[in-house]
Amino acid sequence: MSESTPSEISVTINGVQVEAEPGEMLIAAADRAGVHIPRFCYHERMSPVGMCRMCLVDVDTGRGPMLQPSCMVPVADGMSVNTESEDTKRAQEGILEFLLVNHPLDCPVCDKGGECPLQDQTMAYGPGESRFVEEKRHYEKPIPISDLVHLDRERCILCDRCTRFADEVAGDPLIHFTERGNATQVLTFPDEPFSSYFSGNTVQICPVGALTAAPYRFKARPWDLEQVESTCTTCSMGCRVAVESSRNELVRYLGVDVESVNHGWLCDKGRFNFESTNSSHRITTPLTRDNDDPRQLLGSDWGSALALAAEAIQQAGPGRVGLIGGSRLTNEDAYAWSKFAKSVLGTDNVDAQLGDGLSAEVVLALPLATIAEACNADTVLVVGPDIKEELAILHLRLRGAATKGQTKVVEIGSTPTGIEPYAHRSIRCAPGESAKALSELLASDDPLAAQLKQGSLVVVIGRASLAESEEPTLSLAASIRAELPHATFLPALRRGNVRGALDMGLAPGILPGRTRLDQPSPALSANWNTVPTTKGLNTTEMLRAAASGDLDTLILVGADPLSDFPDRNLAAEAIQKVKTLIAVDTFITDSVAQADVVLPATAYGEQGGTTTNIEGRISRLTQKITATGSARDDWMIATELAWRLGGDLRLGSKEEIWREIEQVAPSHSGVTLERVESSEAHEGILVQRSSIELDLPAPGTPPVADGYGLRLVSGRKLWDAATTTTYSPSLQPLAEAAALRVHPNDLQRLGISSGTDVRVISTRSTEIITAIADDSIERGTAMLPFNQPGGGANRFIDAAAMVNDIRIETV
Amino acid sequence: MGYLAGFKVTFKKLFEERVTTEYPKEKRPKPPRFHGRHVLNRYEDGMEKCIGCELCAGVCPARCIYVRGADNPETDPVSPGERYGYVYEINYLRCIHCDLCVEACPTEAITESKLFEFSFSNRNDAIYTKDELVVGDDGLPQRQPWELWHEGDDLATSGWMRATAPSGNPDYQNRSGWSGELGYGIRSPEMGQHDRPEPQETDNETEEDGHSGVSH
Amino acid sequence: MTEMAGTPIPHAPGFIANLTPRIVTSRFDYEDSHTLARYESTGGYQGLKKALQRTPEEVHSEVRDATLLGRGGAGFPAGVKWGFCPPEVWPRYLVVNGDESEPGTYKDRLLMELDPHQLIEGCLIACYAVGLSQCFLYIRGEMAVAQERVAQALNDAYAAGYVGKNILGTEFSVDIVLHWGAGAYVVGEETALIESLEGNRGMPRLKPPYFPASIGLYGQPTIVNNVETLSNLPWILEHGAQAFTAIGTETSPGTRMVAVSGHVKRPGVYEIVNGTTTFRDLLYGIDMCGGIRDDNDLKAFVPGGGSAPWFTPEQLDLPFEASDVGPQGSMLGSGAIMVMDETTDIPAAALTLTKFYAHESCGKCVPCREGGTWLEQILRRVVEGRGTSRDLDLLIEVGETICPGDFPHAAVASKGIEAVPFPYRMTTICFVGPSAFAPIHSALTLFREEFEAKVAGNDEPTMIEVAVDV
Repeated sequence: MSESTPSEISVTINGVQVEAEPGEMLIAAADRAGVHIPRFCYHERMSPVGMCRMCLVDVDTGRGPMLQPSCMVPVADGMSVNTESEDTKRAQEGILEFLLVNHPLDCPVCDKGGECPLQDQTMAYGPGESRFVEEKRHYEKPIPISDLVHLDRERCILCDRCTRFADEVAGDPLIHFTERGNATQVLTFPDEPFSSYFSGNTVQICPVGALTAAPYRFKARPWDLEQVESTCTTCSMGCRVAVESSRNELVRYLGVDVESVNHGWLCDKGRFNFESTNSSHRITTPLTRDNDDPRQLLGSDWGSALALAAEAIQQAGPGRVGLIGGSRLTNEDAYAWSKFAKSVLGTDNVDAQLGDGLSAEVVLALPLATIAEACNADTVLVVGPDIKEELAILHLRLRGAATKGQTKVVEIGSTPTGIEPYAHRSIRCAPGESAKALSELLASDDPLAAQLKQGSLVVVIGRASLAESEEPTLSLAASIRAELPHATFLPALRRGNVRGALDMGLAPGILPGRTRLDQPSPALSANWNTVPTTKGLNTTEMLRAAASGDLDTLILVGADPLSDFPDRNLAAEAIQKVKTLIAVDTFITDSVAQADVVLPATAYGEQGGTTTNIEGRISRLTQKITATGSARDDWMIATELAWRLGGDLRLGSKEEIWREIEQVAPSHSGVTLERVESSEAHEGILVQRSSIELDLPAPGTPPVADGYGLRLVSGRKLWDAATTTTYSPSLQPLAEAAALRVHPNDLQRLGISSGTDVRVISTRSTEIITAIADDSIERGTAMLPFNQPGGGANRFIDAAAMVNDIRIETV
Repeated sequence: MGYLAGFKVTFKKLFEERVTTEYPKEKRPKPPRFHGRHVLNRYEDGMEKCIGCELCAGVCPARCIYVRGADNPETDPVSPGERYGYVYEINYLRCIHCDLCVEACPTEAITESKLFEFSFSNRNDAIYTKDELVVGDDGLPQRQPWELWHEGDDLATSGWMRATAPSGNPDYQNRSGWSGELGYGIRSPEMGQHDRPEPQETDNETEEDGHSGVSH
Repeated sequence: MTEMAGTPIPHAPGFIANLTPRIVTSRFDYEDSHTLARYESTGGYQGLKKALQRTPEEVHSEVRDATLLGRGGAGFPAGVKWGFCPPEVWPRYLVVNGDESEPGTYKDRLLMELDPHQLIEGCLIACYAVGLSQCFLYIRGEMAVAQERVAQALNDAYAAGYVGKNILGTEFSVDIVLHWGAGAYVVGEETALIESLEGNRGMPRLKPPYFPASIGLYGQPTIVNNVETLSNLPWILEHGAQAFTAIGTETSPGTRMVAVSGHVKRPGVYEIVNGTTTFRDLLYGIDMCGGIRDDNDLKAFVPGGGSAPWFTPEQLDLPFEASDVGPQGSMLGSGAIMVMDETTDIPAAALTLTKFYAHESCGKCVPCREGGTWLEQILRRVVEGRGTSRDLDLLIEVGETICPGDFPHAAVASKGIEAVPFPYRMTTICFVGPSAFAPIHSALTLFREEFEAKVAGNDEPTMIEVAVDV
């Protein structure tokens, strides 16, 4: 960007000189010059096709004016363009009349009516009246092409946007044109739905109402929508979204095109899980345990619930209290909880991750890359979870970069992933042995080794399998640091604002601003009452302490250890043993159901603030609707609790909190509230400084698997039993039931046929699960999705083990 | 004497015919396009004309209409097509009877009757719901307990009242471009405005055309 | 050099020999003309042998000197086209366009059925001249006999060492891949043919930037040549460019094949001398079509495939020369001539052609997809007597959205109509859209009275129902 472009081209558009870049399409140059050329098929994020002919303009390259499609004509020096000539106008009127020849006039019932490019451009450029008196083309009115998307072929103007998106951008070419001529239509293949993780984007880019989204269908009309720009926190990509509501109810999210993050795309989970915010299952009032019937939670009021919570915390004392969670919160809320725990309670037993991520000290110390850097690096090394399942839009960006030849994706893992078809190389290794596989590669004379060593390298790093401990991943990071010191990292942590929570000190041994306990900033020392001196416990340690009776009170801040902690048995034991369990949450999850005090918190769309994505980019969340019931923002709850414990967080609003963060957090200094609220925040403000030194443990070796067991691999799926999915009626059916995938030979050896129930035995549990033969799984391993309905892998996992083995038997 | 001159007008008017009437004992005939309270019409087969498109709510300058659409149940559709008006409410404490909703309606679902005399004892009654607005099985407005009805007020409520020539094109005079409705069928068109015949004649013509349907 | 046969042979229906020398149809009279043995015994593969003794540049310039015009429709010199490939971009491909589907055209089919080796030899010469080693032969899906014969011939040629590695002992190697089309007219357009060859839907690409010579098959430089064009190469290489240019005129040398159908006494394919033969020679010549059936009067004829504007008897004396036909408002195109005598119902004839093009629209661009079918619907109404005089103007107005400006048509002196020269402008990507309009425009311009007779008395304006689809 900084280098001067070689030779700018000058074109004349409607008599005005416009500078353009070589290779730029005329329509893009006109857009920059503020001249709008009508279009349907052109989309700046996809290759041009020139199908709709709406963008025909008079182009004169010295041989006299000619009607040319401006989306297909690259600018040339001296080109003279007239977008308002008589010929152009006549062509525009003609094309619109043609488009409307077969387009039904059902605008009143069409979801697009009111914000429809076809309507708008007909008003602006159309002929006013049609001369068509014949019968229009008829098809069956909307047919569902997937669980989320309906297709109305009568409305379709065949612009190729959705089909191009499915093919070029999403890599799921499941919809295409069939038939030809006047009978051309977009369709799925027979018996194969358009089951793409990105199908919702086709609804957004459809220039008519041909594709409609089931969750938004007939929910509102464009003129009664209110819109704010915000950031999606479903995963930690930080995609920019427009949040829309009608009558104080969230009804739709649209992707906002930002160059650095999501290019306007959203995954279906992020796009449609607004339904959970509107859910009738939300916690609306504080709940407390019924004294008469301890199995029941009773509705209460904030005063008594907070008093109960404060009392339990007080009784336990700072050494016997722990706080788990916080990665679904805004930065401000995370800071409030962090300050509450560390400054008011004086405990360092705080962890935003649930034993399923990477140590905060490592995450905060890794040299960070940006997503854009990853997409333009010579090589991207993906070692971690299946990013298509966990960070879907990162997958989309990397896939796009790989297919365009901008970068080469290399992955090391033990199970097939979504990026594999686009990878330059996929290296399979036994679970827990990725570090060994990398070392072997680098020691070989494989040209890939030289490429990794020399070119720019970005490593997407995360826990490849939740059935492994953190250790193999840290070993891998250590060997990358040692052998490929030029590598920069994108930590593939999944939870919404996990990086923001860690930045704000919601981790043992960490203070806000990516500093250790022993290096508080002067501003922080001045502001905070106390700063813990010794490092506290992380989630695993807290649960272990609770299970052995060393913790009295556990505060869950939007955390559900029973579902999300890899070792369910340990979590269950801890929750049972702990004297008081306080939960601050939006839904009654498995863990919340066990709580003694439940405090309702605001959900996405009900709260403002900021969030930080995996690359350290801070962007804004905007409140759109009022809170459900008496739910409160987390920072308010933290402040109230602090009051009742005799402390004062001295925080009065989200803005005030951000001002304090900017002062006390060294990494965030200079990122003032004014900047966060300015237009700069549209792309997000990148904060990558850290004052923590990277210190990685020496690699260990996983135990050798015995000949009878299968080494368990477990990762999350996009559609799983996560809270926001479960409470979104449209998404909930998309989560497949839990099934164990095993190589057919391994199944055959045990005399088990695919699709039958088997008994799965681990050191932790014995359960019955359906086994499916899958030859993409390596022999000797078994894959079980972490959190599918009907049973998660966490029942079989021992958090203390480096790797987990299971055995299967016939029932 | 100058003050007597001031009574000149008064004395003169004393002997002229009065224009005021003894309302409510005495009623004046309402103009044919009087804007009273709304009705939601139905098609001849009983289906509701409203498709829940919210155009009326969008155009309403008083913001007194609240509409929500929903998917038509496949087995028992409420209106033809995909969508029907699931919620339809008009707040008559706000309505200014400007008739823009009627202009905006693409299906002639909402029209206005000549009923205007209603008084509410509570605010909830002032918000007419869909059940109250939709015409009965005879195609006539449903009478609410708080409404004062007069002979003929509930007639001539439907879309035919405003169906004049499209775009003012005299070629289309006497052609009907609208759909039939419950209780009336397809009504014959209103005459063009420039040569409107006497009301009596219109009635006769309608009879002759055989379009009049049920006569009330 | 060949004996003349008096009667058409059974497997070449409609073919009538009429010329000396014959360049591409020289073997058509033999019953076994498609076999390698017959081909070799009648001078086959001599052109290739001669070519291989020379450098590729020499072969290229020989073809350029022969001014061999493309026979697919556009009539662009093949030698010049070959020169458009950007230098030093490899690999590059030769694609043979055997997807002959223009209404009325069936010359390439006969060339493939009756002399497949001549085509293969032509491919090899072209490959040698341009330096290609990969050739794709795309044959229309419906041509079963041609597919069978070309496949057999190719197998024989591979076996005999004419195709494959180290052809005739030289360093020159070529592989020829056969591909059957799936039955779409638009695939005759070169960029759509390339899309189809790549396994995609046969939809044309936009030029620019997709000129096949620079961005063609698989994004590489690609030469697309017609079957008849390539079939000329063996003769040119054997006899030299001079012998070729000695036939015909300077701008249109050699011979060309024309396919005559319709109301003539002897419809069929004729090899005629290019540039000098006139339409009158062809249609009335005693050794050619022999006049109009039943000695009726000629009403109109289509001079270059179904998409060409029509001619009337006034244009009969024009020669087969693009520079003469173009200014008179039509084109020679694919060399298909459709003859209509005085008994023809002109609106119905136009409807037949328009219906074809509307049906064959690939659906990619709007003016062709929507406009073509709309034109067909209006015209059908007129033909069936349900139209109004307003519809006649509407036909032209709708067509003007597909082809803005004046559309070419022939002159009719008797009606005071002056010619509008070729070509036309268009809002579509390829020529299918304008082709749907061409017959309507010609018929309506030249024979408006026949249309008016159809709509007479129907001048009530149609009532437009103003109602909403729900």
